[in-house]
Amino acid sequence: MRATPRAPEEFVSSVKCPADFDEFWNTLLDDVSRIPLNPSIEHVPMRSTDEVDVYEIGYDSLDNVRIAGWYCVPKDSYLAPPYPGLLIVPGYVSEPTLPKSWANQGYAAIGVAPRGKLRSNAQYNPGYPGLLVDNIVDRNTYSYRGFYIDACRAVDFALTRPEIDHSRIGVHGSSQGGALTITTAALRPDVITCGAAGAPYLCGFMEAAALTHSYPYEEINEYLRLYPEREEQVRDTLEYFDGNNFAPKIKAPMLVYIGMEDDVCPPETGFAVYNAMTCEKVLHTADHCAHDAGAFWEMAEVEAFLAKHLNPGAPSQRADTTIG
Amino acid sequence: MSDLPNGFKEYWQNVEDELGRYPGNPEVEELPIHSTHFCTVFWVKLTSIGPARIGGYLSIPHGDGPHPAIMQTPRYGSVNHVPDYNDRKRYVMFTLMHRGQRLTDKPWAAKYPGLLTEGIDDKDQYVYRAIVADCLRGAEFLQNRPEVDSDRTAIVGDDLALITASRRPEFSHVHAAGLLFHRLMDHRERSSAYPVEEINDYLRANPGDSRRVTETLSHFDPIHHVSGIKARTLLSVGDDEAVGGPEWLEELAEQFGGPVEEYRVTHRGGTDNDSIDAWLARQLGREPMSKFRRTLP
Repeated sequence: MRATPRAPEEFVSSVKCPADFDEFWNTLLDDVSRIPLNPSIEHVPMRSTDEVDVYEIGYDSLDNVRIAGWYCVPKDSYLAPPYPGLLIVPGYVSEPTLPKSWANQGYAAIGVAPRGKLRSNAQYNPGYPGLLVDNIVDRNTYSYRGFYIDACRAVDFALTRPEIDHSRIGVHGSSQGGALTITTAALRPDVITCGAAGAPYLCGFMEAAALTHSYPYEEINEYLRLYPEREEQVRDTLEYFDGNNFAPKIKAPMLVYIGMEDDVCPPETGFAVYNAMTCEKVLHTADHCAHDAGAFWEMAEVEAFLAKHLNPGAPSQRADTTIG
Repeated sequence: MSDLPNGFKEYWQNVEDELGRYPGNPEVEELPIHSTHFCTVFWVKLTSIGPARIGGYLSIPHGDGPHPAIMQTPRYGSVNHVPDYNDRKRYVMFTLMHRGQRLTDKPWAAKYPGLLTEGIDDKDQYVYRAIVADCLRGAEFLQNRPEVDSDRTAIVGDDLALITASRRPEFSHVHAAGLLFHRLMDHRERSSAYPVEEINDYLRANPGDSRRVTETLSHFDPIHHVSGIKARTLLSVGDDEAVGGPEWLEELAEQFGGPVEEYRVTHRGGTDNDSIDAWLARQLGREPMSKFRRTLP
């Protein structure tokens, strides 16, 4: 059989949206809304600077799991409030960013640590590898059910902070962080002002797994090698968690950037989720780039995009990249 | 040759002596979920100094050996992936978790941020002293596997790969990228990005410790180690005038005890991944393989 060159731009996803997709997520949002947030915030002098105060934060999420995070805020003496809020959501294997450099640019920045990440893993810890396939045959206990909600609850945390302008809250991350950018913007469409999603993961799960042998998607291939009879169950579960099904629900402007040689999150799936968005949007593609998604150049674009929509007071230095 | 810090040789000899007091006592157990039709993957447990039990993924290709082998030293972070699928086809692969990383985080779990400064005010208590010992123990384990072709054994990673290669000269090839400990006290003045920022955080909180921190870190700067590397080395080099660029690494590159080739990073991951893969494959007698499949069946 002759091999054919890939044409990611022409890819059409076959992911279906379950009829009760909205009901599933609305029920979860309703469930978690009945759990008191119980926000905590503790100053960390060692990590604070003359410009930025750093805090360890915590809040309660779905199933009463306690979630940790970092909160970095400009000092009054550096920049007066209010500040735009910015959620920085983590990649699959990376630990949550301590987003000081974003605070240096004028954001009140939250580094989110959904369940299973260090400091949020006392009650739930499927490990790595493991997270992607934990309870993958059951949407009601699948790992990303709580994980997605944990990121949404960081929005609720931001809304408790008086120094944050609640009309300017953005979200940004790459890889799994790109996925969480999409899901959070979709699940909190009336709060999120804009989002920048790099190399979005968790979009077209099964299609991605068929296109690559790189981890984390390889976890799905491995699972199905051992349990091929469960493929239909797996597919059914994943439709409830697929970025393609969240994308049309986003109202905020979105920047999506992808690497055209990304072996981790195949570019086909990046195009598919971008095409599924009906909001104001822009796509940047980076030739010969892999899972970095062109971050070396693209971070300046991300900063400009976020600044345009969130209008921080005093941009200064470059932010860190958040590649998963 | 670089001017060695005071007591440098004794410091590392003490690590070797301490390691020598603890047999590795490996346990090797198959992980069926990661094994394929072309390789078998195992979880390995070993004893290192402390004593502490560390671990790693070992993958062995099916078919007659011995096979070329690659050891991956642990990254800075809590998780190391199972070895790459393409690599498992071509090589014996060994990916080590140092103490504190996930899967080897009992009884002690590393903090991120925090690992880089754990015990940094006393070089004898600094966590990286033990982490280097973990890597040395891992190297011994791999090099003694009967499936491994001892003439074709590479080590890849950051400073840990260089330090390990210098002390375990059986490695035939080295690839090093993303050096963290080289000129770290200079680097910290040019960066507020983590993990380097951990040093800045620490010294803001403990300004009186600057001399001790400098002394500790000097023992881990690869510039004092690489003269012991006789293997052929590929050194990834960043942009002109940047940290990790040619000027930054010039003096280091001159100290190697064996041949050094430089790879200029393009920041385009597809290109960089393929280039480095091809270099290693050529050196180890295997076909290059891109992780990104450019064609579909």
